Amino acid sequence: MSILEYNGAAMIAMAGKDCVGIAADRRLGIQAQTVSTDFTKVFKMNDNIHVGLGGLATDVQTLHNVLKFRMGLYELREEREMTPQVFSHLLSTLLYEKRFGPYFVEPIVAGLDDKNKPFLSSMDLIGAPVQTKDFVVSGTCTGNLYGMCETLYKPDLEADALFETLAQALLASVDRDALSGWGGVVHIITKDGVTTRELKGRQD
Amino acid sequence: FSSSLTMARRYDSSTTTFSPEGRLHQVEYAIEAINNAGTCVGILGNDGIVMASERRITSGLLAPAKTSEKTYKLCPHAACNVAGLTADANILIDQARLRAGRYHYQYQEPIPVEQLVEHVCNYKQSYTQYGGLRPFGVAFLFAGYDENHGFQLYQSDPSGNYSGWKATVIGANNQAGKSLLKSEYGSSSSSEMTDEEETSPDVAGALRLAVKVLNKTMDGTAAAAEKMELFTMKLDESGDVVHHILTQKEAQAVIDEVEAETASAGDS
Repeated sequence: MSILEYNGAAMIAMAGKDCVGIAADRRLGIQAQTVSTDFTKVFKMNDNIHVGLGGLATDVQTLHNVLKFRMGLYELREEREMTPQVFSHLLSTLLYEKRFGPYFVEPIVAGLDDKNKPFLSSMDLIGAPVQTKDFVVSGTCTGNLYGMCETLYKPDLEADALFETLAQALLASVDRDALSGWGGVVHIITKDGVTTRELKGRQD
Repeated sequence: FSSSLTMARRYDSSTTTFSPEGRLHQVEYAIEAINNAGTCVGILGNDGIVMASERRITSGLLAPAKTSEKTYKLCPHAACNVAGLTADANILIDQARLRAGRYHYQYQEPIPVEQLVEHVCNYKQSYTQYGGLRPFGVAFLFAGYDENHGFQLYQSDPSGNYSGWKATVIGANNQAGKSLLKSEYGSSSSSEMTDEEETSPDVAGALRLAVKVLNKTMDGTAAAAEKMELFTMKLDESGDVVHHILTQKEAQAVIDEVEAETASAGDS
């Protein structure tokens, strides 16, 4: 049993035309037993940054609080909001600081940079970052997620089409994974705001 | 060896020594340093707090790096005004920001305002008792809101002492400012009650009173919007704290109102 598979998660973030979307499942389990069906794994850090934290649930919540603390300090000192690139780098250094006793979380970052262009990144539990133009995935069924994204993804999708693509990719992927699923949530971020929708999926 | 004429001098070079009269001279000298700094007024209103400060523009060539050199946000629900050595203040402000952030991280709740003030003050106090380092030459006005005690205004000085106020002044000519507040705080112009949520006459009244105080403490120099910085802290409709530094236009409007008030008062 891998500690990263203890609670279960499935997350995707995708880039569209001047928008990004980030989606995650809702399950919190303790190995085989499902404990919660409304567990939040995607967090809004500011109007331009959403972060998906998948992995050990306690570290998901702790890391979220640590990130809120660090972002708060940044905004107080710099008197401006953090951009997704800076946030991604902060997250990467935070994780590497715990190189020999890591947070068991593999995050994905989705946002719009200061020119309102999509930004996507993901990293492993010790902070090795990867930036992509199309999509990033994380969780206990990354094989499924990669397959679905490669198949369904098209560049420059508008917000509504991006939502559909994200939703279908996520729902199909989690159905073949015992540890993720039990509903889903999708956030579509544009320069005008964030639209959040809950997904109805198989409750098993 | 000891000379009774210069008794003070023997006891004032070390912060960690009391004088025979039971005083800490270094601390008192630090307090003196602040009495030469730009004035700050703080006024507690019914629905918010006003902090007004004198902006000392030392050179026209200065490039403004931050929004303010007097008002600093410490956390979403607290801010402070500085009088004294800005370099010293920066250290303390960072301390306060870290403390507020850590408290929130630990308890997932905003830090009570007094606890934040006490933390900064305890830090200041330690420089009056050990280490052999000089005290911080800074006095603060802290404005904050918490659920249990509502809006609060605190003043602190280099000794690490603090107290809560309804209205107070620090910096140059603070005695003149305080005497004006004593007579005018709580009089009709600053405590009108209305049912409106949007504009709050009490903060507005407090703003006018603050400008009046600054006019008095800055006497000799004409009251102008670019010489003052006006800050308000209020709650918005969703109950979140809003920090606002008035724009030049908004500040000028308040200054004009005060001018009109004093002019009409002079007529009667």
